[in-house]
Amino acid sequence: MDQKPQDDIDFLEPSVLLDETHYQEGFKNGYNDGLVSGKEEGRQVGLKNGFQVGEELGFYQGCVDVWMSVICIDHNAFSARIRKNIEQLAALVRSYPLYDPEDEQIQDIMEKIRLKFRVITANLGAKLEYEGRPASSKHDVEDL
Amino acid sequence: MDGGGAAELREAHRLTGHSDRVWSLAWNPFTGSGAGPVLASCGGDKAVRIWKRSPDGAWHCSDVLEDTHNRTVRSCAWSPDGKLLATASFDSTTAIWEYSGGDFECVATLEGHENEVKSVSWSSSGSLLATCSRDKTVWIWEMQPGNEYECVAVLQGHTQDVKMVQWHPFLDVLVSVSYDNSIKVWADDGDDEWHCVQTLTEADNCGHSSTVWALSFNKKGDRMVTCSDDRTLKIWDTSADLSQPKTGDDHESWRHLSTLTGYHGRTIFSAHLSSEDIIASGAGDDTICLFTEVEGPSYRLILKKEKAHDMDINCVRWCPQDPRMLASASDDGTVKLWELRGNALD
Repeated sequence: MDQKPQDDIDFLEPSVLLDETHYQEGFKNGYNDGLVSGKEEGRQVGLKNGFQVGEELGFYQGCVDVWMSVICIDHNAFSARIRKNIEQLAALVRSYPLYDPEDEQIQDIMEKIRLKFRVITANLGAKLEYEGRPASSKHDVEDL
Repeated sequence: MDGGGAAELREAHRLTGHSDRVWSLAWNPFTGSGAGPVLASCGGDKAVRIWKRSPDGAWHCSDVLEDTHNRTVRSCAWSPDGKLLATASFDSTTAIWEYSGGDFECVATLEGHENEVKSVSWSSSGSLLATCSRDKTVWIWEMQPGNEYECVAVLQGHTQDVKMVQWHPFLDVLVSVSYDNSIKVWADDGDDEWHCVQTLTEADNCGHSSTVWALSFNKKGDRMVTCSDDRTLKIWDTSADLSQPKTGDDHESWRHLSTLTGYHGRTIFSAHLSSEDIIASGAGDDTICLFTEVEGPSYRLILKKEKAHDMDINCVRWCPQDPRMLASASDDGTVKLWELRGNALD
């Protein structure tokens, strides 16, 4: 192409711009692809996580339902302390913010639920455990 | 008591019988008038042995409690009335034995910990029992009629293996020590809600810089000694009553008084305060040290007994009926009884 001297800058500009254009186009393509695959991945993770949380909470709620039924039939089936613990567990499960996974307290509440459940099963002498969650003992190495 | 001479720790008896390391000892606090002192020992051979003094002065093993735990028995503790013995095991259970009519019977088993139970302690009222484990939790149990035990609370807070728990001599305040280098103090609000009311750490309280293995209170409850993998003993002023819920900013805490460094060349596994406030310490350097409090308050070494055992010393315990008699347990499988003679308290 015939260029006049004052078009030197213009001559170079398309090459520089080409670099920039390619970059922008690549970025846009990547972003759009990422948006689609990210959403799908997020959906899968959310489903999996949500299922796990729901399953665990459902397990505790189920236990609470059975125990509450026992108390309805026979008020003195359990000691006062155990009854209180069951009621506390019921309240904790109810308080779990199912619809707000960003809530900072969810981990804390889940820990409290698991702990309260352990106290109740220890007192009932029931070997009952939520199977989906690994216990601490499986990961550690024995020491003195 | 000897009037004169420098202090010395004389080996009086050597109790053999365990076929593996002896982990822990417990003197029966109440044996009734006329009866001599009774010592319980437990160890890696999954058994608990009961030792008594014969009329001729020699010691013999009167009972062997076995076939209950199927792993190491790590710790044992007598109830305040001396009628029950709790044994904590690596099999994750704690057994309660009733001692009546000269015979031992396992009357209850406490289950709940996820793995090895490291320590057990009875409160001074005798109605509460605490256990701790490698699962990082501390459990508090309440004794019910008919040898039933109810779990009152499961305390979470330590981030590692909890090595020992011990109740305050007369308050319902519990202390736990851990592989996480911290000392935690627990109390309840009167309604079964137990909380950690103080944590003594290296950063905030001149606490230990490594695993804390043991703690011991004095009779008055205003001194606590702790010992650690950092090879020091630390003495704490525990006169503040932490069993009461705090009101506003005006709360006292337990504070560091003194650190004893340079006396042991290895991890100090055990420390115990006698009724005369003499501190005994036993360590991985096979040595027993004795200290007494002097003006300050600070502490003076009374004596250092090297090669007290052939291997690591896991536990030292003063006899409640004879404050100059000390028992020690070791990896070498033996229990030794020592007599402190001479001017120990000068």
